[in-house]
Amino acid sequence: MIERREQKLGMPTGRGYSRRDFLKVGGAGLAGAALLGTAGCGGGGAGSGKLIFSMSSPVPTFDALLNKFSKQNKGEIEATLREMPANSSTHYDKLTTEFQAGGGDIDVIGGDVIWAIQFAAQGYIQDLSDDFPESEQEKFLPGPISAMIYEDAIYGIPWFTDAGLIYYRKDLLEKAGFSGPPETWDELKEMALKTAKDTGTKNGFVFQGMNYEGGVCNGCEFIWTHGGEVLSEVTGGEVVIDSSEAVAGLETYASMVADGVAPEAVANYDETTSEPVFGAGDAVFLRDWPGYYGLLGIPTKDGGYPNLKPEQVGIAPIPVAEPGMQSYSALGGWNQFVNAATDSQEEAVTFAKFMIATEQEKSLALDGGLRPTRKALYEDPDLQEASPVIELAKEIIFSNAKSRPVNEYYGDISLELAEQFNNVLTGDTSPQEAAETLQQSLSDIMEQAD
Amino acid sequence: MTSASREKKERGWFKEEFGNPERRMAYYMVLPAVLIIVVIAFFPVLYGVVLSFTDSTVTAFGSFVGLENYVEMFQDPDFLVGLSNTVIFTVVSVTLEFIFGLGIALAVNRAFRGRGLVRAAILVPWAFPTVISAVMWRLMFQPGIGIFQYVAQSIGIISGPVLSDPTLLLIAAILIDVWKTTPFMALLLLAGLQVIPGEVYEAARVDGANVYQRFFRITLPLLKGAILVAVLFRTLDAYRIYDLFYAFGAKELQSLSTYVYEGVRISQLQFGPGNAAAVFIFVTAFLIALFFIKVLGMRTSTEE
Repeated sequence: MIERREQKLGMPTGRGYSRRDFLKVGGAGLAGAALLGTAGCGGGGAGSGKLIFSMSSPVPTFDALLNKFSKQNKGEIEATLREMPANSSTHYDKLTTEFQAGGGDIDVIGGDVIWAIQFAAQGYIQDLSDDFPESEQEKFLPGPISAMIYEDAIYGIPWFTDAGLIYYRKDLLEKAGFSGPPETWDELKEMALKTAKDTGTKNGFVFQGMNYEGGVCNGCEFIWTHGGEVLSEVTGGEVVIDSSEAVAGLETYASMVADGVAPEAVANYDETTSEPVFGAGDAVFLRDWPGYYGLLGIPTKDGGYPNLKPEQVGIAPIPVAEPGMQSYSALGGWNQFVNAATDSQEEAVTFAKFMIATEQEKSLALDGGLRPTRKALYEDPDLQEASPVIELAKEIIFSNAKSRPVNEYYGDISLELAEQFNNVLTGDTSPQEAAETLQQSLSDIMEQAD
Repeated sequence: MTSASREKKERGWFKEEFGNPERRMAYYMVLPAVLIIVVIAFFPVLYGVVLSFTDSTVTAFGSFVGLENYVEMFQDPDFLVGLSNTVIFTVVSVTLEFIFGLGIALAVNRAFRGRGLVRAAILVPWAFPTVISAVMWRLMFQPGIGIFQYVAQSIGIISGPVLSDPTLLLIAAILIDVWKTTPFMALLLLAGLQVIPGEVYEAARVDGANVYQRFFRITLPLLKGAILVAVLFRTLDAYRIYDLFYAFGAKELQSLSTYVYEGVRISQLQFGPGNAAAVFIFVTAFLIALFFIKVLGMRTSTEE
C-alpha cells in the first residue's frame, strides 16, 4: 500500500520542475520575505528637516502657528501637528507607548504639567536647562515652572496654563436674591440649593468627580481649601493626608452629593459630561478650567454652548472652608517637552522656543482663548480686552494655582487618589476611612520612591 | 503490550512521520509558519513568565525574586475583585448566551420565508466593535441622558446611578455581553444543527418520541461537538474580557485583564503583580481549554 501511494504521488521522472519543487522554493521564499519584513519594521525619527509636534485638542490657531514657523524657517525645518486624544489619561498612555518602544518619532511634545517629572525620571524628555536659563524662567509664572523641575534641572517650558475655578450663573443668583459669588463652601451649598429651588434649575453644582485625573484635581481642591495637604511638600516630604483638615475637606466633598447640592451622577462626570449640563442651563454652579469660558455663546458646531451667553456667567475662585482662608486651584496647563530620543535636537528646541515666544502666546490667547504663562502678558491691554477670562482669572492663576504632587511616581499616586476620592463621592467609603487608606498606600509609594 | 512492541510502535511513529517523504514535506511546509509563531507568540509568553519571577519595571530588567509577585498579586484586593468579577461574568454570560443561542438556533433552523434575512439581522450586535457598543451603552446608562437609567429608576428597581455601583455595573455588563454575543453562539449552534440529518428525526417520530425526547435524546447528543466548541470559545473570550469592562465601566469595573493593564501600563510600581496576573490568565485559560478537551471530550481533529 505504501509503494502504491509513493508511486502515485511521487516525483515524476523526466521533468524539470515538479509542483512539489515549486512549492518548496516558493514557500521558502515567502517565509524568508516575511521574516525579513518583520525584522525591517521599526526605526524612527521624522527625518532631517521635518518636525513632528504632538498635542491634544488643537485649536485652529495651532495650524496657523505651525505654518508661521515653517515659513520662518523655510527650507530648513517644516513642522507638522500630530493630534492626540483629548482625554489626558489616554493621551499619556499613547505617549508612554511611543517612549517605551524606543523614542518614537515625535520630536516636540505638548504635554500636561503633571507628566514632566514622570517623563524626566525615566529619561524620556530632554534636559532644557542650557536652552532655558533662569533669567528666562523668571518671565514665566512660578507655579508651572516649579512643576517642570526635576533634580535641579528644568525639563519643560510652560506653554499655557490652567487653574480650576467656579463658574456661576449671575442671572440665576440675582433672581434668587444673592448679590455675588460664594466665598465659603457652606455659602455655595446654601446658594446652590436655594437658587435651584427658586429658579427651577435641575442641579445646584456640577463638577468632575469621575475616577480619573480630573477627579484628583477636584478632590485636591477640596482638601487644600480646608487647610489640608496631600504631601507636606510639593516635591516630596511626608504624606499628611490623614490630617483632620484633609478629612474635613473630604467630608465637604462627600456632602455635595449627600446633601443634594450635586447630583449623584457627578461621580461619573468628566469635563465632557459636566460641561454640557451647565451649558444647557441645568446647573447653577460648575467647577471647570478657564478654557470653558471661551465656549459660551459659541455655536454647537464649533463645540460651544450657544444658549448660554458670557454675560450670564461669572467666574469666582474655589470657595474655602472659613472666610479669610487662602483659596487654592489645581494647577493644570500644557508645556513644551523635547523628546530625548529625537534626531533633530536643535530644531526641536528652536520650535519649542518659538511656541513660547511672547508673540505666539499672545496670538494663542487672543485667538484660541488659552491662558499665557508669561507674566507680562497678563498686563497686556489687548489681551485684557479680547479675553475677559484673562482679567477675571488673573488673580486665580497668579496666586491660587497649586500643583498636585510633583513626583516620579505620580502615576501611582494619582491612581490611588482618584479611586478613593471617587469612593468618597459615591458613599462607598467614609472620608475618614479614605484618608487612612490613602495615608497607608501613599506612604508605601513614597517609600519606594526613595 | 510488551516493551519491545511499544518501542517498535514509537519508532514506527517517528519513521512514519519523517521517513515518509510526503509527510516530511508537510512538516517542511509548516516549518516557516511554526517558526514565526514561535517567535511572535511563544517568545513573549516565555518572556512574560520569566519577567513575572523578577522585580522588573517597564524600563529596567530586575533581579530574580521568586514567587514574590504572585504572593503580592493574590493579596491585592483589586486582583481578587477582578478575579471574582471575571469568574461570575464568564459563568453567567456563557450560560445565558448558550440558552438563548440554542433557542434562536432551533427557531431559525426551520425553513421559513425571510430566513436568510433573519439570520443576517441577528448578527448585527455581533458586528459592532465592542468598544463602540460599550460606549453607546454607557451613554444609555448615563444619569440625566440615559434611557435605561431613566426607565430603571422610574420603575424603582434602581435607586442610584448604575455607573457608580460595582454590582449593578457587573449585571449591566453581563447583559450587554449577552446582547452582543448570543448571535455568535446561535450561528455556531445553527451550523451544528444543520449537520444533523432529518431522517433521524423522522425515525424518532415514527417511534413515537415527543418533542422533549427528540430534543434531549437526539438533538443535544448529536450537537455535542458544536456545543463544546462554541462554549469553549465563549468561555475563553469571556475569561479574557477587557474592552467591555474598560470602555463601559471606565475603571469602576475590574476584570483580570483590566488589572493586568493597570499594573503593566499605567502604574509604575505594580508591574510585577500585573505581569504575574498575565501569566495567571494564561495558565488558567490553558487549564480551562484542557478541561474541555480531556474531560468533556471535545474533539480536536478528525483523526481519532
